[in-house]
Amino acid sequence: MQTGPYYFVKNLPLHELITPEFISTFIKKGSCYALTYNTNIDEDNTVALVFMITSRNSPMIVSIDLMELSLNLDSKKYERISWSFKEKKPLKFDFLLAWHNTGSEESTMMSYFSKYQIQEHQPKVTLSTVRDLQCPVLQSSELDGAPEVSCQALELFDWLGAVFSNVSLNNEPNNFISTYCCPQPSTVVAKAYLCTITGFILPEKICLLLEHLCHYFDELKLAPWVTLSVQGFADSPVSWGKSEHGFWKGGEHLYNFVIFNNQDYWLQMAVGANDHCPP
Amino acid sequence: MPAPAATYERVVYKNPSEYHYMKVCLEFQDCGVGLNAAQFKQLLISAVKDLFGEVDAALPLDILTYEEKTLSAILRICSSGLVKLWSSLTLLGSYKGKKCAFRVIQVSPFLLALSGNSRELVLD
Repeated sequence: MQTGPYYFVKNLPLHELITPEFISTFIKKGSCYALTYNTNIDEDNTVALVFMITSRNSPMIVSIDLMELSLNLDSKKYERISWSFKEKKPLKFDFLLAWHNTGSEESTMMSYFSKYQIQEHQPKVTLSTVRDLQCPVLQSSELDGAPEVSCQALELFDWLGAVFSNVSLNNEPNNFISTYCCPQPSTVVAKAYLCTITGFILPEKICLLLEHLCHYFDELKLAPWVTLSVQGFADSPVSWGKSEHGFWKGGEHLYNFVIFNNQDYWLQMAVGANDHCPP
Repeated sequence: MPAPAATYERVVYKNPSEYHYMKVCLEFQDCGVGLNAAQFKQLLISAVKDLFGEVDAALPLDILTYEEKTLSAILRICSSGLVKLWSSLTLLGSYKGKKCAFRVIQVSPFLLALSGNSRELVLD
């Protein structure tokens, strides 16, 4: 399953994202996303294109609704915004871009931004197999776990982090270096498959991935559950929906699906201290 | 037999994490000194002891991962001890007479957040 491509454009003037041509070619014919590359939201100007352009350099936030703007491109509002981006404050950024085309024509980002050194990238995929992995025992109906029977959802969340960070899971309580161990009760699985996909990935691709995972249990499987974790960019100025995203000690905003073999699921959403509660 | 109606439960936790996790890296100004995991941990303990004393040096601190080649590690500290550990790392200036500094790369109450770092995204 393809999870890309995404694109990188160097020194793209910000006004290029509000031109009538860009809006009609990409915004109106699919879902277009952009994020400035290598800008730290707690230090620099940062721009994101989701359903609107949001620019943030604490404490100033500028939000522009492109769909609303496109309804009247002769308006004074559009003229002012255009003038601001072209002349008053002509900002340029390196952008990551991705586009989900729902139109019938074959417009491409590569040809559209050809004068701006655009590069196409594919998300990096790493696969690994872990043998004899200690896994927490879960019961889909018990989010808080049950003593001696199943683990809490929070314990699973941290355990996933341990697995993906290659943390040792069976340290003795008197070990000087680390006392971390797998939450109990646990079971040992002979083989676990881990897949990491890194890049600027469209939500539509993630939905497809989730669908594939849901179909994993269409046939009888030994595995009791599978998980899909998604991490947002730490320097995105927006989080869930249109909520502003912040970076205090960290810029974490992530979610994790746990899909059980009985078609129950858990959805865990986590945000940092500077973010609003997810919907 | 008809399937039972789907049930839905939403639970919101605020500050649920007992622990905080830090991804750190030790950098030497000139040529480095090799440290194994035990020496690395001892360095962290003595940094906290120098600033806050014996009692706080006994804060539960785990080195979840350690890479000797790059002197980088993922640490786990009880949330109440995060500020003390972080400030101790900030003020540590030398090891065995050699100038060094800790770089704090990521901090989160969620270990899963440390499995990736978008600030380290490199485009080929």
